[in-house]
Amino acid sequence: MDTLTGVDRPAEPDGFRAFVEARSPALLRSGWLLTGDWTTAEDLVQTALAAAWPRWDSLRRQDAPEVYVRKIMINTYLRWRQRRWNGEIATGRLPEMAAYGDVFAQIDARQALLAALDRLSPRQRAVVVLRYFADQTEGQTAAAMGCSVGAVKSHAAKALARLRDAPGLAELMTGGVTS
Amino acid sequence: MNTSEQQLTEMLHRVTPEPPRRVTVEDIAFRLASQAGSGPQHREPRYRRPRYRQSRPRRDRDPRRRPKWGWAAAPVLAAASVFVVAGASAGIAVLATSHHTPSPPAQGKRDTTSAPPVSSSPTGAPTATGPVLPVGSVIPGGPWKARLIGHQSLLPGSLAGGDGSLYALTGQDLVRIDPGSGAVLQSVPFSSPVANPPVVMGGTVWVVSSYGDARAVLLGFDAQTLTQVRSVTVPAIGQLSSAAQGVLAAGPDGNLYVAAGELVAVVNPASGLIVQRVQQPEGPVSSVAVAPEGGTIYVTTFHASNQTLQVLTYSLTEGGVETNSSTVRSGGGGDLVATSGGVWGTLGSGMSESVWFAPGGDLSSASPYVRDVGGGGYLTVPTLANGALWIGGTHALTCANPATGSVLASAAVPADHGVAEYFGSVVYADGNAYSYYSDNLSQTQGLAELTPPAACSR
Repeated sequence: MDTLTGVDRPAEPDGFRAFVEARSPALLRSGWLLTGDWTTAEDLVQTALAAAWPRWDSLRRQDAPEVYVRKIMINTYLRWRQRRWNGEIATGRLPEMAAYGDVFAQIDARQALLAALDRLSPRQRAVVVLRYFADQTEGQTAAAMGCSVGAVKSHAAKALARLRDAPGLAELMTGGVTS
Repeated sequence: MNTSEQQLTEMLHRVTPEPPRRVTVEDIAFRLASQAGSGPQHREPRYRRPRYRQSRPRRDRDPRRRPKWGWAAAPVLAAASVFVVAGASAGIAVLATSHHTPSPPAQGKRDTTSAPPVSSSPTGAPTATGPVLPVGSVIPGGPWKARLIGHQSLLPGSLAGGDGSLYALTGQDLVRIDPGSGAVLQSVPFSSPVANPPVVMGGTVWVVSSYGDARAVLLGFDAQTLTQVRSVTVPAIGQLSSAAQGVLAAGPDGNLYVAAGELVAVVNPASGLIVQRVQQPEGPVSSVAVAPEGGTIYVTTFHASNQTLQVLTYSLTEGGVETNSSTVRSGGGGDLVATSGGVWGTLGSGMSESVWFAPGGDLSSASPYVRDVGGGGYLTVPTLANGALWIGGTHALTCANPATGSVLASAAVPADHGVAEYFGSVVYADGNAYSYYSDNLSQTQGLAELTPPAACSR
């Protein structure tokens, strides 16, 4: 019995805790790249892991728990974006990085990255996160997003073109601060 | 992968920060248990995006929408008195303090989630209601020929003037008001997380739309149409102040000054660029103000552990702290207005609040003037308009010399059959003076047009 909700807590499947402890930081970072803030990223990761819990044994047998969790994350993120109009217009441009200390430069770099990602459509953003951050193949990305490999290539090419034009991102891609 | 794809991959791994905390199995179990308890459901993300609409009658409002702004605390009006203590020789003057003897709010602290003030029954105040004053009427006994020009349910202290219009927050909307007729011309759904009046600058009305998750988000609305035209995110350093109040200010250089944790960021509103950062090592900044000459900013830091407030003065040109005041006991983070002679601010939290003036930002001798007096739930935020400093309250409306703190003129605020009325947040638009007005007996709230004496025009 869960002491907080008074509802029976489902039995924890074997290996689930180890997976969550090992992979949640990477999943949260993917969530941050998708949503731009930690609160929503955590919501996203929890939603995906909660969906994976009841199917865990089957997912483990298929050796595919992370693929499934990422698929749920991407689909949930795309669904949220469809439901909610994003009225925020990203206009944040960034000051000279070298003018401030390391802390400011890190924050500036993150803001530049998020502002650049905000220029992408939700599907383009999802492709960037899966392909270039989560290191998924084009086939895995297509499977996670439920689209063709050709569509993934198209989204990736358009996303790269937009990112190249984003203020401050060229400097970030050719070096600079670390996280 | 080609070269640019490899660069993108490398950059994403390098720049993406580590999460502040991890997701645990207990988090997931709790979520599953909660879902099992209430049926299948999808939890929406915490996006808070405004949707635009034209003005519509207030009766359409969804009663479930509650203002996030603590200023919406139910005003308490009771017996009132005013202290006018000229303390220039002591380095500070406590100029006006609304004094009440109300019952404390529920659980002994401010209700920050209460319903809009117009529908609230004041805690400890009489529940009888009097006749509602018609729009256009002269307010009986009101200060400076006060005339009621509109019945709006506004948040006390949220009134701002500029570009020929008045702007205010209702707790649910940002509204533009025609000062001539008192009519609401435009409104856009908006609920501020911190007590901060709109800042009107360069044809744009700026508000703080989000203050949490280690950042402050500012929204800019077109001053005429209230269409959102800009959004600026200011990342915080350290924790944001738990007593944030007056965290956004306009500078004479045309920049916005934003308190964000242990930092004041100077933002160019046209580009969204952070053009300067001032680090504040004493703790999270709870309020910020910019000297009218520029070059100097005043900040307050509220130390919740011992309920004390500290005022610090920074030079933007030379860098570093100019003045670091001693701490004084306070129930809140204060709210600052900078003038050529120093800085004005508040101590307390609405239920017990005073207004002070510290020449040169020196708050060191303020302690003797901090009194255990009440503000009746109203925050008495001083305003700078038409060259004078204005202080409202439930017993007097005062204009003062902003540079010296001396009182230029003062008028009594009447009590409506024993129940105090309130005037405050004096602003100017098109050369006329306006103030927020509230009368708890008749449940009247809105805007009043004032005709201050010549002594207030400097």
